[in-house]
Amino acid sequence: MTGLWTMVANDLRQRIRDKSVFIFSLIVPLALMGVLSLVFGGLGEDTVELQPATVVASADDADQLGAALIGAVDSLEIMDVTVKRVPAADVRNETQASGADLGIIIPEGFSNAVLSGQAASVQLVEGDGASLETGVLISVVQGVVDQLAAGTVTAAAGGLSGLPHQDLAALAQRAAAGPSLLTLTEGQAAAEQLSLRGTLVAGQAGLFLMFTVGFGVLGLLAEREQGTLARLRSMPVTGGAVITAKACTGFILGVTATTVLLSAGSQLFGVSFGSPLVVAALILSVVTAATSLTFVVARLVRTAEQANVAQSILAMVLGIAGGAFFPVQGTGFAATLLDLNPIGAFIRGLGISAGGGTLGDVTGPVAVMLAFAAAGLLLSRLLPDRGAQA
Amino acid sequence: MEVVQTQTKDVLDVSGLVRRYGDLTAVDGVSFHIRTGETYGLLGPNGAGKTTIISMVAGLIPANGGTVRVAGRSMTPSETEAKRIIGLVPQELAIYPDLTARENLKFFGRLQGLSGRELTQRTNEVLELIGLSDRAGDLTKKYSGGMKRRLNIGIGLLHRPTLLILDEPTVGVDPQSRNAILESVERLSFEGMAVLYTTHYMEEAERLCDRIAIIDEGRIQAEGTRDELITLTGGVDRINLRGGGSTSRAAEALRGLPAVQRVDNDGAGLILTVSDGPTALAGIVTGAGHAGMSVTSVEIVRPDLESVFLHLTGKALRD
Repeated sequence: MTGLWTMVANDLRQRIRDKSVFIFSLIVPLALMGVLSLVFGGLGEDTVELQPATVVASADDADQLGAALIGAVDSLEIMDVTVKRVPAADVRNETQASGADLGIIIPEGFSNAVLSGQAASVQLVEGDGASLETGVLISVVQGVVDQLAAGTVTAAAGGLSGLPHQDLAALAQRAAAGPSLLTLTEGQAAAEQLSLRGTLVAGQAGLFLMFTVGFGVLGLLAEREQGTLARLRSMPVTGGAVITAKACTGFILGVTATTVLLSAGSQLFGVSFGSPLVVAALILSVVTAATSLTFVVARLVRTAEQANVAQSILAMVLGIAGGAFFPVQGTGFAATLLDLNPIGAFIRGLGISAGGGTLGDVTGPVAVMLAFAAAGLLLSRLLPDRGAQA
Repeated sequence: MEVVQTQTKDVLDVSGLVRRYGDLTAVDGVSFHIRTGETYGLLGPNGAGKTTIISMVAGLIPANGGTVRVAGRSMTPSETEAKRIIGLVPQELAIYPDLTARENLKFFGRLQGLSGRELTQRTNEVLELIGLSDRAGDLTKKYSGGMKRRLNIGIGLLHRPTLLILDEPTVGVDPQSRNAILESVERLSFEGMAVLYTTHYMEEAERLCDRIAIIDEGRIQAEGTRDELITLTGGVDRINLRGGGSTSRAAEALRGLPAVQRVDNDGAGLILTVSDGPTALAGIVTGAGHAGMSVTSVEIVRPDLESVFLHLTGKALRD
């Protein structure tokens, strides 16, 4: 064990001294996070600030339902609305002239029409600069009209069944203005999706992890080229200890870099990934998976240069497919493949954690990453060592 | 007067060593042994199999046949105890460029089991021995080639190995560093360390080695002390005739002379093996001239390891 940790300490000292690990594992991903956050960070924000809006409306004050409709618009809590009342004939011109967001023309006898089951038409005039606020106002009007339409339908049905006129009106009013028997309650689904900024931070951490762990096992190829591997093999340490030391180096660097990136990303970009314990489990799992992949690469290539190229290709493919830059979805077999991607599983796990998930909730992504690690190790045992044959 | 016979132990015992790469047999049944305090040379041209033998002796690669025993312990790649008593100086530089000389020495020293005060003391001693004390804190990537070579050797010596294995340690080294390396090896041998030394430089083998094995095509062609090997040539001299003209006809003509035992054409002239060079020289030059060869220079070489190699293999050591 002394020999193992001596080799690990030696590797870490060299990696820290040549500074490449800082560049590829911390500086570049943090810079990319910053750039991508500046470019895409505004998208997908949870809240949008609505601007004050002006509505030009015509309605008879004596018309109860017409007044209720205007009142619904006027009393919106999500935005300030100013209602300007004008005669019906002037609504269109006034809307355009004043730059109002919406014009509403409520026909005469609107309440009577609704309560007696007759057709009635509420006209809307969109302002010249139709905006998000205009859309919101139209949705509100549409909602009220839909509710009133229920009264119209009820009155019409009552008329067909022969109810007296006064009963029809009461029934229609209850249908139009009464409490809804069906209610919709909003709740928080068990989300696996991070915010866009969260995805960028997690994705870049996952992507560059693939480069970082390469400083470990793939260092064997550099040692072979600089002759020190032969000297290590002549020392009283087993070949397994030499390889394990490299894996430990990559693992330590991977865990450290990913932890620093997620922590720095959280602070710099205002992202929260949830329970530190759950995040730690996810980091350990994804670093294990990434390290196992370096064993496979080390068997397939002959030189350190080839290893760097292969590792870069794998990092980009797994990173992009895992959603390091944007969410990627597939169907059927493609979806299964994407689900098995350790970086995708890592980001998915962080999404669950960010949504308040516990260790039990991330067993799926953790299992995917650990299974990937096991498969990588098994594959590396089966593959011939092309470097040793060179 | 009583004669006391001291029996020295075999530090290294190699028996029937074989190594194949596909259809190529790189090492074919090599056997030799080295005693305490003995310097043993493997002399042969590039590609003769010397480094492959070293790699098996140091436990870097497995043998396909035969055994290697170091101080009685079997040496294989997975063996760690036998590796504690060997020090390997590979032909290629094996040092970390981003570490200082002191850090390189301490790292490999720790792997060899040294620690604490002993490690510090040995590191300082070796730095002094290889003449790098004043540059011990510099990164080795800033060193000259000769300084790197000296450090490469120093790492092999650090833990005072019972058997030091040097694989062509002077290749690519300037004459001054080369001489320093040879002096170091002589001193270590004098102090009782067993040394296995490979080289394709005849002069190094003659200067350093108590016994020499001449290697070619993966086999030991002959083994013994320098004098024993030279007797294999029959004590004959070598005459190098340089020049142009009809060298082929000259070779045919000279083979008929009584003193001439062998004539080889190396492209630049003729190499003759003769029983008494100084006496036969006049007749040889005259004969070559009559056969149409225009001789431009003549050299008489008294028997040496080059002659032995030529005698045994029919080719020059540096072919």
